[in-house]
Amino acid sequence: MEPLAQEAEVAESGMLSDEPGAGSTGPGQRVVTRGKSPLAIALTRLRHDRIAMICLGIFIFFVLIAIFAPLLAKLEGQDPTTFHQDLVDEYGFPTVGPNSQHWFGVDPRLGRDLFARWVYGARPSLIVAVSATAISSAIGVVIGLVAGFIGGWTDRILSWIIDFVLSLPYLLFAIAVPAVLLAIFVGNNEGASAEETATVRFWSLILVLSFFGWAGLARLIRGEVLSLREREFIAAARVLGVPRRQVLFKELLPNLVAPIVISTSLALPTYIITEAGLSVLGVGLTEPTPSWGVTISAAETYYRADPLYLWLPVLGITILVLALSLLGDSIRDAFDPRTRR
Amino acid sequence: MARVKLAVAATAALALGLAGCGSPSSNNSSKPSNGATGGISTATEAIDATAKGPAAEIPGAHKGGTMTVYSQATPNNLDPTDIYYTDSAEIAKLVYRTPTQFDIRNGKPTLVPDLTDLGTASADKLTWTFKLQPNIKYDDGTAVKVDDLAYAIKRSFAHDVFPDGATYQQTYFKDGDKYKGPYKDGLTYSGVETTGTDTLIIHLSKPFADLPFYMTFPLFTPIPQAKDTKQDYQSHPLATGPYKFDSFTVGSELKLVKNTNWDPSTDAARHQYVDGWDFKWAQDDVKTQQQVLNSSGPDASAINYVDIDASLVPQLTGDKVKQLVQGEGPCTFLTQMDTRKIPLEVRKAVATAWPYDQLWKAAGINDYIGERASTILPPSIPGYTKYTPLPGLSGVGPGDPVAAKQMLTAAGKVGFELSYYYDNTKPIPQQVSQVRTEALTKAGFKVKAIGVATADLRTKTSDYTAPVNMGQSPRGWCSDWPDGTSWMPVLFESSSLANGLSWGEMTDKSLDAEINAISDLAPDAAAAKWGPEDQKIMGLYIGMPGYYTKMGVVKGTNVGTTVGDPTQGMPLFQSMYLAS
Repeated sequence: MEPLAQEAEVAESGMLSDEPGAGSTGPGQRVVTRGKSPLAIALTRLRHDRIAMICLGIFIFFVLIAIFAPLLAKLEGQDPTTFHQDLVDEYGFPTVGPNSQHWFGVDPRLGRDLFARWVYGARPSLIVAVSATAISSAIGVVIGLVAGFIGGWTDRILSWIIDFVLSLPYLLFAIAVPAVLLAIFVGNNEGASAEETATVRFWSLILVLSFFGWAGLARLIRGEVLSLREREFIAAARVLGVPRRQVLFKELLPNLVAPIVISTSLALPTYIITEAGLSVLGVGLTEPTPSWGVTISAAETYYRADPLYLWLPVLGITILVLALSLLGDSIRDAFDPRTRR
Repeated sequence: MARVKLAVAATAALALGLAGCGSPSSNNSSKPSNGATGGISTATEAIDATAKGPAAEIPGAHKGGTMTVYSQATPNNLDPTDIYYTDSAEIAKLVYRTPTQFDIRNGKPTLVPDLTDLGTASADKLTWTFKLQPNIKYDDGTAVKVDDLAYAIKRSFAHDVFPDGATYQQTYFKDGDKYKGPYKDGLTYSGVETTGTDTLIIHLSKPFADLPFYMTFPLFTPIPQAKDTKQDYQSHPLATGPYKFDSFTVGSELKLVKNTNWDPSTDAARHQYVDGWDFKWAQDDVKTQQQVLNSSGPDASAINYVDIDASLVPQLTGDKVKQLVQGEGPCTFLTQMDTRKIPLEVRKAVATAWPYDQLWKAAGINDYIGERASTILPPSIPGYTKYTPLPGLSGVGPGDPVAAKQMLTAAGKVGFELSYYYDNTKPIPQQVSQVRTEALTKAGFKVKAIGVATADLRTKTSDYTAPVNMGQSPRGWCSDWPDGTSWMPVLFESSSLANGLSWGEMTDKSLDAEINAISDLAPDAAAAKWGPEDQKIMGLYIGMPGYYTKMGVVKGTNVGTTVGDPTQGMPLFQSMYLAS
């Protein structure tokens, strides 16, 4: 990626141009060229990618749903936690389907409004995934930069830690850590209200996902930095006495935008799936947090009797993850100089 | 204390969906709430000392074929001494004959003789004599000796080897607290002796009128000392019943074949209609229940003995209704209130506000697996009386927060704090607690629901000094044998507090005396008194009745008429047959 940036920088100054038309404009005339940063090039490419734009639209749509969940629920006149057990028969099956009061119907046994639970359910998925992505990317980038640039013992220790984290059994920890945190933070679970438990579960999930997410990115960044730091512009900066921090964040980081963006855009859907998966297994989020994963887990046995109950959250997760994955692919393609369209 | 195990066993089984009871109403349609509510008949005769084999033929019964039995939960043990769970106890009836047994007549259990008579007690009630029937053989053709019965009793004291079995013998039998079984303490035990070839004598340390009922437990099946291989005995035990082990793979499969040395003329209750049994465990219940409902191929001759999953209920229409087998169960669930900590007026207000309907729905109970309770004794107990429910204790209705608040205001107790433990790691208990909190708060109570982890729940709820005032354990109680004495003295006498098995935490000497007086009566005479006693104790508002357990399982289309065994809440295997 870096050579392209150098070319562009040079091109921007107008002293040199590889544009074919440049030579034909004749001497004396100023060569007008527009330089583009790799980010700009990638964004332009992305903007012309129709699938990417549709997927982005879908993602924004879900983000809006999550942000305006209370408003949407109010519009419907319901909220996600009120029981309507008069709408549930003796066997626990809802007696009403989707109607003007309950747009998606109500859930079995308790009669809570499914539309409200669905819109609120977008929140934990997105918050957990976005926070985990942000935290793990930040840690991964910093550790990768430091390890790759400083080298020596620092690198060895950090690399060892990275390998150690990567070798930990992810799923086992994801299952065990929330229970441990629950015990630590709400003291042997005694007296913890359902909301407290749900909150601890929520944060511990973000913690676990972030803890396991950073190592992969850190290794990637470290590798990139190892090859970059031998480049002339870095050497020049060092010779000039530019402070190390500035070299790291002003010189190196801009050249790492592509791997970071790609990695985060691919990590986001993975975290959404992991969150839902763990919640379905009963070790992620818990009641009364409205979450798609929790709903799917509760709805498994009702798929025949009450299909909407199961399929709405499944559909929500599927569409969101599919859109984000396709978007991630498009972003990678857009940043990859080898992709020509 | 002795009865903890079964309560534990039964509630554990319930958690796995094994209990059941109810009423055979084969024409009930699936969806509407007109489910199986009728059919409770008052028990008549609990004991028939003169019953003789062979057992009466079941009209339409057909011989032959192999019955397949599915369940996700695996019986933890099939050693006769170690059996205490309902599923293994029901299977045991096919293989192990016991001194006495239950015959199910019109859905009600009746105690009848099996290997011995029903026993005779001495004048001081401390010595029981049982006479062994002649000419009983094991499946290998050797004769059953009365010494084998005595040896089995001695073996049941080896609790270090067989930790799961029942423990009444340690409480009631002479030196029962000292003797540690034949492996440790040898064969000399003063509690059991034999004379001649047919007389078994049991010495007690205190009167135990229900001993003949207890003798139905599989731990009393004869075991010859020479064949005892301790823990390994269950892999190929000697059979006395109509079937014997063919092959047994722990945790996955048990195959039974006919025992040709079983003589029907000596057995007053068991049948031998099918040629063999194939128990298949550790298979997903929803899946196998669906298979059984579909009844294609060999699944037509199959039954799943776990209560039907709520998600399959909508399929029970048309001909499929006939595939549902319903029966009574041995348990009552009740949410108790601590009478020491909550005054009577407040208890009445709680009962008035109690959201029975909402809790029923939130807990996912339906009338295939439970029936709304309004008494302590379940219908399977002789003496059960369905009296007019007391105000607020009907077991039905949405609760009346307005009336409850008035009662609370009148008592000057608005804002009274109610506290209880619940399992905050599972969604259903958490939601049930939420429903309860909401309803009680509306009625003017202050509710403190304390969430604990599953692992801590049992310890916390069995501690009567815990800082909560309702919902302590036992949250449900199941009979060890169908008699009021396995309920009232256990749950309501002062000693129940020390045993951790109390409903209401009462220490009332006059109530103790009253219950003792009824317990000392002959079972039939006592049965008549348990109903009024039940009503009297309920009048103390010791808790809100939840439901009686029922059995609602599905059978294949080729399985003949099947009845429930109310002593276990299981299908009565010993009377099952295939239609073709």
